[in-house]
Amino acid sequence: MRDHPLARRLLRGTTALVLAFLMAPMLAVVVLSFSPTELMVLPPRGVSLRWYEDFLTAGRWVLATRNSFVVAIATTLLATVLGTAAAIGLQLGRFRGKALLVTLLTLPLVTPYIVTAASMYFAYSLAGLAGSLAGLVLGHTVVAVPFVLMAVLATLQTFDANLLRAAASLGAPPWAAILRVVVPNIWPGIAAGAVFAFATSLDEFVITLFLAGPGQFTLPRQMYASVREFLTPTILAAATLLFLCSLIFLLASEALRLRSTRKTQP
Amino acid sequence: MRRTNWLAALLIAPLLLLILGSFLVPVGLTLFRAVADREVAVALPDTRAVLAGWDGQGLPPEVAFAAVARELAAVLEARRIGDVAQRMNFERTGLRTLLLRTARAGDRLRAPYAESLVALDARWGQRDAWLMLQRAGGPFTSLYLLRAMDFTRGPDGAVSQVAIEERLFQTLFLRTLWVSLLVTAICVLLAYPVAYTIARLRAPWSSVALTLVLIPFWSSVLVRTTAWFVLLQREGPVNGALVGLGLLDAPAQILGTRLAVVLALVHVLLPFAILPMHSVMTRLDATYLRAAASLGANGVQRFLRVWLPLSLPGVAAGGAMVFLLAVGMYTAPALVGGDRDQMVTWFIANFMTRDVNWGMAAALSAYLLAMSGAVIALTRILTGGTVQAGARA
Amino acid sequence: MTDVLVRFRAVSKSYDGRAKVVEELNLDVHRGEFLTLLGPSGSGKTTTLMMLAGFEDPTSGRIELEGTRIDTVPPHRRGIGVVFQNYALFPHMTVAENLAFPLSIRRMKREEIATRTQRALEMVRLPGFGDRRPQQLSGGQQQRVALARALIFEPKLVLLDEPLGALDKQLREELQAEIRRIHAQLGVTMVYVTHDQAEALTLSDRIAVFNSGRIQQLGTAEAVYEHPANPFVAGFIGENNRLSARVLDATRLRLEDGSTLEAAPHGLPPGMAVLLSIRPERVMLGPAAQGLANAARARVEEVVYLGDHSRLRLMHAGRTDFVVKLPRQEAVPQPGSVIDLAIPIASVMVFPA
Repeated sequence: MRDHPLARRLLRGTTALVLAFLMAPMLAVVVLSFSPTELMVLPPRGVSLRWYEDFLTAGRWVLATRNSFVVAIATTLLATVLGTAAAIGLQLGRFRGKALLVTLLTLPLVTPYIVTAASMYFAYSLAGLAGSLAGLVLGHTVVAVPFVLMAVLATLQTFDANLLRAAASLGAPPWAAILRVVVPNIWPGIAAGAVFAFATSLDEFVITLFLAGPGQFTLPRQMYASVREFLTPTILAAATLLFLCSLIFLLASEALRLRSTRKTQP
Repeated sequence: MRRTNWLAALLIAPLLLLILGSFLVPVGLTLFRAVADREVAVALPDTRAVLAGWDGQGLPPEVAFAAVARELAAVLEARRIGDVAQRMNFERTGLRTLLLRTARAGDRLRAPYAESLVALDARWGQRDAWLMLQRAGGPFTSLYLLRAMDFTRGPDGAVSQVAIEERLFQTLFLRTLWVSLLVTAICVLLAYPVAYTIARLRAPWSSVALTLVLIPFWSSVLVRTTAWFVLLQREGPVNGALVGLGLLDAPAQILGTRLAVVLALVHVLLPFAILPMHSVMTRLDATYLRAAASLGANGVQRFLRVWLPLSLPGVAAGGAMVFLLAVGMYTAPALVGGDRDQMVTWFIANFMTRDVNWGMAAALSAYLLAMSGAVIALTRILTGGTVQAGARA
Repeated sequence: MTDVLVRFRAVSKSYDGRAKVVEELNLDVHRGEFLTLLGPSGSGKTTTLMMLAGFEDPTSGRIELEGTRIDTVPPHRRGIGVVFQNYALFPHMTVAENLAFPLSIRRMKREEIATRTQRALEMVRLPGFGDRRPQQLSGGQQQRVALARALIFEPKLVLLDEPLGALDKQLREELQAEIRRIHAQLGVTMVYVTHDQAEALTLSDRIAVFNSGRIQQLGTAEAVYEHPANPFVAGFIGENNRLSARVLDATRLRLEDGSTLEAAPHGLPPGMAVLLSIRPERVMLGPAAQGLANAARARVEEVVYLGDHSRLRLMHAGRTDFVVKLPRQEAVPQPGSVIDLAIPIASVMVFPA
């Protein structure tokens, strides 16, 4: 069923404009990050890597990058293990209130981050966790883990429960069945969840703002501070590098998605 | 199967504990803090006990004066007077000075305290200060929840609106609601034709277009907001282009205006509207349209009576997601918005860090949660399903 | 003196605490036999199998394997092989890895695993398929691998849950022969679940016919076909004409249209309402029927040609749907014609209504 030619032209025109609107700011940042001067003007008056050099040599940016990756890696590990285990548990268990439990576990997704952050700050202050690396990782894990949970649960929907029964009938105790049959079959979902968890932690700003100690700057926190303080193209170099990370995450998640759909449609 | 359920419980427990301990209990504590009233009970326990037996008529007995003088001096000594002073001052401006002055007078005050306190500050001779001190005894208060809606409670307990020049929060909530609704409306209106077009494009163009939506979806909110911050500067590329095209005579101040906030929010949230709509539309069977055509429906009728109703769940999901994220968004408005035109989130952050008034931060959080909850409930009722989240704000 | 391998004692199963899927089941499985649980869907046969495998817990009662109670033993410690309808081959493993799985779980030596895998593949006639993925095999081949996998760790008992349900007719018959051969060769006890009565008759030493959570009849294929215990069994296994009637005396019955029918002595009191079941292939047709017991004339309503036989729909005994099967060599009458028929006395099965 084709649309009227005029309608089609109009729709495609609108779509092109909206997509351009979505992409333009990011492309502008990438271009401006190569600016030879502190002036951020378009079109650029040359190409230089001085802001990248600045980024890679300035102590605070290097430290922020390191912090970001330490927190993101720890968060990803914790969120992936906890989220995968819980998803498998939810799939295995036969009890009432599963839907409620899933809602509860994914509540951090629909709760305003500022409320989550403020609440964690209150509670972590009481527990002496505020300002610690452990507190920051826990905080990031809370908002990252629902993605893992949902990704793994979605993959488990296509997992044949008879495979578990088969494993049991062949003598495999439950933990062996999970490690040798479930996990190898749902790994694309686990990996997709892990990628999302990593991206979430790397981009997370609001919770970091409240939970991080005075010296604990992550990349987003450093960017925010720098923007408010004094805007230099170094920020744009940082933004471009983060943008590059997002592209890698996107590619990874699409590759995993293709893999898991191919698996379910032999 | 009991054994399987044990295993399942064992697998779920760690995550449940994490979410309970790090999220549900903290959020619960926040909600509790919005109504909790502990400062007076902690700092002035004896005063509170005496006032609890006071009938509120005339002035309290001499023991109350004695207790307040002794306990205020003691908490000042222990450097813990800040909390109770701030708490009482929030009840009525000026009470901080009253408490501090009395505490500092300390040893110089002599019995009968009823006379020496009134001599120090005439407000001790008025019933109001005592009534407010009595009411602040806890354990619960409606002070913060009322104040977060621009209401206050007089010494006599009557609820009234605060003075016009102090009103702030009603406007704040209306502003937050309005900006969020505006952003949601713009996002839905822009997203629908885009989702429709992408769903009907042929491969590989559909993948290319979808990737152009996914790229911003995956990139950091802060990166995108920073981009707008750079683009919208007075000397930035947008102003440069507008002046260059002759549309403006001189660069305009865009940063710090509501336009900047709406622009950045739409940009950040648009993918969240497009993706759910697109996913619903790609699952729509084209044979419905063929069937409608075979039954005599023309293009407009096919769209209005078949495609639109079938794609509405995607619209509801996308719209709800955008609204939820807009209401709770801190980064974008904080960065590109003006200090006088901020949203609820900004005030929560300010009460947390600058004013250290956790009661107000908690009360505003409670209202914000209620708003989000209402939207989720409404969407559930309208679509009969859950809101599929995918937020990284 | 038969050797009992599995014993169900008063086993009941309910999912919601009220409706019972399996009710007070008592069943002995003999060592080395091929027992089929046959019944319509929802009759409790699969639940019975799942309880034996350990995937479901009985609500009450006990299950014993070689005299030891097993209903509290987790499935992975029961040592019972299971073949599933959808094969349940692990998609992330090759055929050989699938076969090696139960052996490696049992920490068997590598060389031993290799030999056994090889042997198992030969047994199901798939040598050289070890390196393939299950997805690369046809349905029939996958089910052979699943069968080999359930047998490779030498269980005493193998359960098969409608293993041929997803295959087409020709493949199904081929695999039935295969299963029979393997059963005879290994002497392993097999419990087989199916809703296909022809399959049950082909394969089984004994058949347990299930309906609404209870065993209706347990016996050899011949016994359940020739001497059904009740109308359900008569109706579920093989085709039959059902007629309502009333007992006249020790051998005679009055049909609804007023005619009488003679049967073998049934021992039911006169006046009792009964249900008659008459197999279509037992009815005699044509001139040969004249003068026999229960001889009558009936009009042919419809003739359906089915290759090896023809089905006639007759107007008889007050019904218009009285079905008779006519072997191929007999002359096929025209619709509308009137023919002779006779119902042998021994073929009138009488059940209390």
